[in-house]
Amino acid sequence: MNHMILQVVSKIMIPFIQVFGIYVVLFGHLSPGGGFAGGTILGVSLIFYRMVYGKAETRLKFPFELMMKMMCGALILYGVLKGYSFLTGGNHSYLPQLPLGTPGNILSGGYLLPLNVLVGITVTVTIYFLFTLFYEGEI
Amino acid sequence: MISLAMAKSFPLLILLILLISAFIMPLVKNNRVVKGISLGTMMMAAVLSVITMIYVVKNGSFVYRIGHWDAPWGIEFYISPMEAAIGVLFTWVAGLILWYSLYSLEKEIPSEKLPFYYLLVNVLIGALLGIVYSNDIFNCFVFVEISTLASCGIVVIKDKKENIKAALKYLILSCLGSGLFLMGIAFLYSITGNLNMTFIYKEVAAAQYVYPNVILISVVLFTIGLGVKSAMFPLHTWLPDAHSSAPSVSSALLSSLVLKGFVILLIKILFRALGFTLVKELPILDLILILGSLGMIMGSVFAILQKEIKRVIAYSSVAQVGYIFFGIGLASELGVAVALYHVFGHAVTKAMLFLTVGAMIETTGKKKIEDFKGIGKEMPITLGLFTLGALSMVGIPILPGFVSKWNLALASISAGKPILVAIILISSILNALYYFPVVIHGFFGEENLKDRVYKSKQKPVKEMLPVICLSVAVLFVGLISEPLIQLFSLGLK
Repeated sequence: MNHMILQVVSKIMIPFIQVFGIYVVLFGHLSPGGGFAGGTILGVSLIFYRMVYGKAETRLKFPFELMMKMMCGALILYGVLKGYSFLTGGNHSYLPQLPLGTPGNILSGGYLLPLNVLVGITVTVTIYFLFTLFYEGEI
Repeated sequence: MISLAMAKSFPLLILLILLISAFIMPLVKNNRVVKGISLGTMMMAAVLSVITMIYVVKNGSFVYRIGHWDAPWGIEFYISPMEAAIGVLFTWVAGLILWYSLYSLEKEIPSEKLPFYYLLVNVLIGALLGIVYSNDIFNCFVFVEISTLASCGIVVIKDKKENIKAALKYLILSCLGSGLFLMGIAFLYSITGNLNMTFIYKEVAAAQYVYPNVILISVVLFTIGLGVKSAMFPLHTWLPDAHSSAPSVSSALLSSLVLKGFVILLIKILFRALGFTLVKELPILDLILILGSLGMIMGSVFAILQKEIKRVIAYSSVAQVGYIFFGIGLASELGVAVALYHVFGHAVTKAMLFLTVGAMIETTGKKKIEDFKGIGKEMPITLGLFTLGALSMVGIPILPGFVSKWNLALASISAGKPILVAIILISSILNALYYFPVVIHGFFGEENLKDRVYKSKQKPVKEMLPVICLSVAVLFVGLISEPLIQLFSLGLK
């Protein structure tokens, strides 16, 4: 869809969508939202970019390798973080955990914030992949 | 010993190792490294599961809480001898199948998809072990979903028309099954207020007089939902397509492990969450018994009618799963213990059958049964291993197939239903009807063996070693049948 109006409008809109997505991810433990909701919004911004600027240009900005690395890295980190929490809890071993912080601050809530961010990354990439696979058959 | 004291956390550690290492694979460029990671993590899981088993046999069953909250709020694992033994079975059989796949998988699927295949296998085995270990029904549901998607993935990875068709059929039917299972959980939760099986067992004793119909509905939903996934007889229609079109490594995994995970879950829900005394009063066990018997006969009849060898073995799975449901339906402790023993016996035997047949198809490039006439001269070791599996399926003494049939017959007599022995006998004869022609035409007959060169198509022994290990496992499972059955009847209490 090589359309002038669309391109100009999307240039204005995509940053706002992305900032909102990041906000939803980062404030997931304080307000409604979280990794999945915010990740979906971020993923939609990528889909929007792909629809407006086409396959070739999107591939330059968000190559498959990079997306795959981000997603797998996020999943591995998630497993390690949550696995550490599970194992220390199950063994009744009082090893250091992430601090809870003051309620209301962004840096609070123990594991919730980092896990939300990791879920957000995974969902962003998954939503983008799902759309492109159904839309064009390749990523 | 420090290692034994730590053993309580090993089930969780196994799941973490398998599920986390799965996502390292797409990042690795070199396929040899991917294979190494896959086999290495599976071997670690196998060793850990054996240590867990030793711990459980010594110290009895235990509950392991996941995270920082205790049971009704948090999640927990419940490891009895039964779960530990099934964990050992799953990890070792999966390890042997993966070892076989090192040499053969690249011939069946494109090499750039190999990392994704091993990712799916690790996720699949992790999810199946999660189903087996978890004591929380909703947690089990999540693992059921993961394993469904992963098993569809290992069918469709070959990327041919028939695979896509089979995988779509499998996906739709098993999503239906998951939906029914979820509804069953919802009904049970609404009357007991718990998702933890131990607590459901406590609550359901009071609820059964107030809401008898709700319990019946939820049990039927569980049975049908998990029956679709584990190929209970009239719901098996997805199985032959999916198992016969998948790469032979996937077929072995699907048939020997994936079907069994859901059967174990059904046994856990029926006999641990609801309890023997309650379930015995419901008509559901009779239904399971009838469907199991029908599966035993009809699965074999369908298998006789097939022309492709992989479809024969796939339909044979329907018949063998029928035996497991038959054992559950007998509603006695011996029956369920023998059903669990059959899970063991069938898992090792069917893995061996699918791998040997995979080797035959790989070297000859043919699929029909009639093309395998005289193959015994060309591939003596492979067909010899196939023969061992076939003998076990038909029920020749010492081998696991015989032990489970014998004990099922004993259990059905002691349950006061001696007529069922006839069904076991008929099913055994039907088994012989479709397994023995392959073996007889393979080894004997003047015309069949003409122009065949001895050992001309034999795969190197190095590549067949995992299958030989599986055959040793078959003999071993047959020999230790007595303690295994005792262990299972202990584990259910």
